[in-house]
Amino acid sequence: MKTIKLLSIASLMFLGLMSFTTVAESSKYKCMIQMTNYTGEGAYIVISLMNPEGEYEETLNVIGDDEEWYNTIESWWDFYGKRRPDIDAITGATVSGGERTINVIEIDDDKLDKGYKLRFESAVEDQEYYEKDVEIELTSANVKSKVEGNGFIRYIRMMPQK
Amino acid sequence: MTISIWRYSHLILAILTSLFVLIASVTGAILAFEPISNQLQPYAISGAHERSLAETLSVLQQEYDEVFTLEVDKNGFVSASVITKEGDSDTFYINPVTGEKLGDLIKKAPLFEFATNLHRSLFLKTTGRILIGVVSFLLILITITGIKLILKRQGGFKRFFSKVVKENFNQYYHVVIGRYALIPILIITITGVFLSLERFELLPITKTSHQYLEQVEPENKLALKDLKIFQDLKLETVKQVEFPFSDDIEDYFIVQLNDKELLVNQFTGDVVSQQNSSLVTILTDWSIILHTGEGTIIWSVVLLLASLAILFFMYSGFAMTIKRRKDTSKIKNKFKKDTAEYIILVGSETGNTFNTAKLFYDALLAAGHSAYAASLNEYSTYNKAKHIIVFAATYGEGEAPISASNFNKLFAEVNQKQTISYAVIGFGSLMYPDYCKYAIEVDQMFQKQPNFEVHLPLFKINNQSFEAFKTWIQQWNKSSNQDLKIQFKKPQIKTKSLKEFKVVQKTALNIDHTFLVQLRPQKKTKFTSGDLLSLFPDQDFIERQYSIGKIENDILLSIKKHELGVCSNYFNQLKLNDVVKAKVKRNYEFHFPTDAKAVIMIANGTGIAPFLGMINDNQNQTKTHLFWGGRTQASLDIYKNSIDTAFSKDTLSSFHVAYSQEQEEKFYVQDLLLKHQDLLSQVLNTNGVVMICGSIAMQNRVLEVLNSVTTAKLNKPLSTFESNAQIRMDCY
Repeated sequence: MKTIKLLSIASLMFLGLMSFTTVAESSKYKCMIQMTNYTGEGAYIVISLMNPEGEYEETLNVIGDDEEWYNTIESWWDFYGKRRPDIDAITGATVSGGERTINVIEIDDDKLDKGYKLRFESAVEDQEYYEKDVEIELTSANVKSKVEGNGFIRYIRMMPQK
Repeated sequence: MTISIWRYSHLILAILTSLFVLIASVTGAILAFEPISNQLQPYAISGAHERSLAETLSVLQQEYDEVFTLEVDKNGFVSASVITKEGDSDTFYINPVTGEKLGDLIKKAPLFEFATNLHRSLFLKTTGRILIGVVSFLLILITITGIKLILKRQGGFKRFFSKVVKENFNQYYHVVIGRYALIPILIITITGVFLSLERFELLPITKTSHQYLEQVEPENKLALKDLKIFQDLKLETVKQVEFPFSDDIEDYFIVQLNDKELLVNQFTGDVVSQQNSSLVTILTDWSIILHTGEGTIIWSVVLLLASLAILFFMYSGFAMTIKRRKDTSKIKNKFKKDTAEYIILVGSETGNTFNTAKLFYDALLAAGHSAYAASLNEYSTYNKAKHIIVFAATYGEGEAPISASNFNKLFAEVNQKQTISYAVIGFGSLMYPDYCKYAIEVDQMFQKQPNFEVHLPLFKINNQSFEAFKTWIQQWNKSSNQDLKIQFKKPQIKTKSLKEFKVVQKTALNIDHTFLVQLRPQKKTKFTSGDLLSLFPDQDFIERQYSIGKIENDILLSIKKHELGVCSNYFNQLKLNDVVKAKVKRNYEFHFPTDAKAVIMIANGTGIAPFLGMINDNQNQTKTHLFWGGRTQASLDIYKNSIDTAFSKDTLSSFHVAYSQEQEEKFYVQDLLLKHQDLLSQVLNTNGVVMICGSIAMQNRVLEVLNSVTTAKLNKPLSTFESNAQIRMDCY
């Protein structure tokens, strides 16, 4: 019992110390999305942070500013549509086939290498919806890599912002 | 026959698409304001577009932590997507000289957002887009049938922009505005269809894809401002620049110019690959500019006017159709076709002829006769008929009007059992080359059938003239010993719009029963020589018009007294200081030309009045030659004063007279013209103007002479000069 108590106190203190140093620590990453040469309207893309349980944790970026079409990104809509938090600051214009877009996303450092994932969902008016156009583990290696997409996204590239 | 097919398709297409066209043009008119309001934003920096891309790029690089893209939109506004020194990612308009932020991107106003959605998809997404695309295509067809109809009406390409006969407000402006609006409307609809096709991937697609060799990383990296390619590119030729994502040699500058896309090595500035934009891309670009007016206020205004014009066409077109239907069913027959003695047959295009026919029908009934009226298309046997009276209009190049489209065939098939007398009245306009051609044709058809005998010869009426119709009624009454009374509708005259004029001078009747009256406006009135003075005599309230000669600030009229003339007798009994109530009608087509070097004026009889004003008011010292035809030398006396004054002021270059009664052989003004062919052809050839005023008979003779002169001397028909507004007429 004692040992358990001691351990828990020690771990509490340790955690407290940890949190003291890491509170609100986050980093910015440059993220480029290069689209395939599809034809049609501009794509709606949402970048989300998924927790280790595979649930939505946070919306990092929304590409596409007409709310009318948000429900075409179905899984995310289930998460976002209920609460509708303000996402103006992380919303940008749509990208069309062959184009690229560069956005800056901000991720808490303590989510890195903890089993969190980054998910890129994409949908185009009158065309498909890709729930996992790109989904990558949030690891220190992946945040400076290039990953191929499965749908409208040809690839994404990420880089820590200096 | 063909005319009705064109008109029918024009109408059917218009009805089919009306609702969509209504929505599209209302929203289109609203959307025209978007590029205008955008253009008025203060984000354009003058002179900046002459700068090189290198200058702007390097200034941005200094000003911001990182730059992702630079864009130059169609308004000439430069925007950049950057990370600011504070570490925020943002996109905004920049000053291309200093790199400073000028303002946030223009957010589409909710009204425009709404209108755009409605305009291109009716809020029905794909279905709506297809509908709008199809409607746009149908609108092209409406425009083309419209062009065809104008060509038919005006009588050919060369006369496309010549004067339109005004039958009523809707008809006149439908045609007049149509002539100007159809070009922008064609552009709007064609680009609209193109954009729809592009949207639905029905055009060959060629996306640019670059192919290039792998690059070797050089030792030195050149500064952005030293890259030669960027130094050479002016900002105005650039659409977009994407900065390399990283310092990696494999990441390039992607530069989109108006006609091509370049990949530029970020170390050396070498062009790694270059792809020209495909034709579809370029056409799409132009379609967007032409369809939306993006970037130009002037074109946006044109688009706005075109949208409003479409709305007007819808209104006036449907109003005309409804009126036409009403007019053609105006006559309610009291007698059956086989019991009536008088059969009235009408060939009408717009329904106006039915109105005149109804007056005659009513007069017959009032006099106790049995009459039956029908359109020429309903031609049949008439058992009790003694008289057939045909009222026939002409459409376009002498074609049968719509309510007579089938008459020629019927006429050959139907045989009347008894002999019937006939009379044909033709309606038309002297402004068209085929004046009353269809009526002439109908008259000849009756002549050839033995069952018919002529009661009155063919009678032609110009521009629905009531005067002429009354003359025909007189002929009718005389020849058939009747006393039909036509009930003219009393026109609504706003007596308030009439102005007062005081008689300040009046000559005695001369040998031709002609006299001059000089009237002084009692209130300030705008007028000039060639305008018309309208009077409405109490007796019948039918408008009479006289051509005005402006002498100082007075109106000079030359009037010939007719024995029964209501108006001429009214003028004749006037005394000095009497007051006349009348209205000035501006007649811009018959004003003295301000830009011509030489003018030839041709008149007979009282038609000289406007010219008397013009030759005395010729301030530009334009060379003017006056030709006049009168009966005797004494006829000239009342005008002599004005002509002499003009000579003494040096405002008249020459004066030529023809007296018809002074010698054995009659000699008219047209004969006089034949002696001055060189002068005529020289004036016309140097953009001079020929003005004609007087009787219709004289006008027709003179036009024949002029035509023969231009054909022989200048190798061109007179119509060339007519459509160039070099022939101006005011005849009665």
